[in-house]
Amino acid sequence: MRKKYSQAYAIILFILAQVACFSLLGLWIARFVANYVILKRIGEQYSINIQAGGAVAIFVIGLVLLVAMSVGMLLIFRRLRLQYKLTKLYDNFIANVTHELKTPLTSIQLYLDTLTVRDISRSKQLKFIEFMQRDANRLNKLINAILEIARLEKKKNRFHCSVYEADHILKEIIEEIVQQIKLPQGTITITGEAHCNCVIDKSAFKILFNNLVNNAMKYSTDILKIYINMQCSPKKCVIEFQDQGIGFSVNEKKRIFDKFYRVNHPDDPDVRGSGLGLALVKEIVKYHGGKIRAYSKGLNQGATFRIELPVYPASKRHHLNKLLKSSTY
Amino acid sequence: MNEDNLQNSKILLVEDEESLAEGLLFNLSEEGYSVVWVKDGKKALEQFDSQPYDLIILDIMLPYINGFEVAKYVREKSPMIPILMLTARTAVHDRVRGLEIGANDYLTKPFHLQELLARVKGILRRKSWYQSAVESTSTYQFGENEINFADFSCRSENKKFRLTQQEAMVMKYLIQKKDKIVSREELLEKVWNISSEIETRTVDNFIARLRKYFEPDTKKPVYIKSIRSAGYMFVERPSS
Repeated sequence: MRKKYSQAYAIILFILAQVACFSLLGLWIARFVANYVILKRIGEQYSINIQAGGAVAIFVIGLVLLVAMSVGMLLIFRRLRLQYKLTKLYDNFIANVTHELKTPLTSIQLYLDTLTVRDISRSKQLKFIEFMQRDANRLNKLINAILEIARLEKKKNRFHCSVYEADHILKEIIEEIVQQIKLPQGTITITGEAHCNCVIDKSAFKILFNNLVNNAMKYSTDILKIYINMQCSPKKCVIEFQDQGIGFSVNEKKRIFDKFYRVNHPDDPDVRGSGLGLALVKEIVKYHGGKIRAYSKGLNQGATFRIELPVYPASKRHHLNKLLKSSTY
Repeated sequence: MNEDNLQNSKILLVEDEESLAEGLLFNLSEEGYSVVWVKDGKKALEQFDSQPYDLIILDIMLPYINGFEVAKYVREKSPMIPILMLTARTAVHDRVRGLEIGANDYLTKPFHLQELLARVKGILRRKSWYQSAVESTSTYQFGENEINFADFSCRSENKKFRLTQQEAMVMKYLIQKKDKIVSREELLEKVWNISSEIETRTVDNFIARLRKYFEPDTKKPVYIKSIRSAGYMFVERPSS
């Protein structure tokens, strides 16, 4: 319970401290000005030349120190807020990852127990083994996603980038994903053409599209439909990935690429997920020198992810050459 | 109800993970239970409204409506139907929340098949114990209070209210053991079928609620007495 109110408590404390600081500043100015006016009057009355130079210097130093205190408090407050946000996301991550790790583990455990204690037919055994394999794959994917994002963030990941014609390589990757997850014909519609060169790591882009497709699958309440549009301009290659899922609200727009964040509302058709998918997508795009933005007309109105990649060698040549160079080792 | 009757029990399984649900469905069916499986909270409520069940096995993280909300809905409509919660959450407050909403038992993931089957059997047995106990004495009076164990309705002085199934079972157990000390651990094991290594705070919360219902002065309880370091004792006729 205490945790729930800790942010409001911190905000109130911060406001009170700032009010105290500025009240002191106000009082101090009022006092200084009043004293100065009195001294000036006395000076005028008795024809004494009163020098306030020293006092003004002290006053100015005092002001600077008070403002510094106030700024210091502001910085500490901002850091605390960030810390609070991170803790909240971390809790979210723990809850999601606990669910994501324990559920397939439970399933594997259940089938192992079943195979141990029950006498079952060969066909049933094979079916149960298939379930266990699926769950083991799921665990593997989750662990890989956690490791991948950690490596990407620490820039320790070594991709193998090459220059490809965007149209060709992206269509190839999407086709591979369609085959791999056995999507029905017509699920993904590709429009537009992107006849420009981009520096791309094929395996990273496979992870990227896999995550976007998985996302669309998880959050689609109706039949899964995905529209991908590709275009090239002289400097950038634009890929728009549009799904017809539950979308997200304006408030959530800023947060959906945050690590561990998950869209959560009553129309959510699937509760699975670690909150790492879109964070990973963003890191991959960033690594390739690109940008990603998400749009949604609102809840239940689908989502569009717009990816912009630099065209080689017209844009971000230095960064892309660095990627190509590091890929040759 | 004998073992054979228990085996014919109807179970509603609410689990969104296909592979886990298939395994549970297979094993419960092998035990002779009749099982209906639904994948989300919405369908669980529809299914619950459509026909009577002897037990609901309920996951917490469910699409559309989570397990806590489903349990709340079920409890409002039917105080008698037992609920076994399956959860990946191990935090004490989650477990306590589930039990307080009205779950009869919970199992944290990952669990062993034998444990699940034993708990299912335990819950169904307790349900049958409660039903037979109610059939013999459906109403019970003490002081100004009267409890109807069949429909959980109560009267205390001029107030009328309804107990939850779990509250009624706690009262039933205390009354059956009247004038004897019942430990918190015993209550957890007998009423909730939970091993006593978990927090006994749940029991204290239930007792506090029961005292609010039945005691003239909750600070000086006369019917449900606390016995220091030992547990609780129900006294039908408190000495003046």
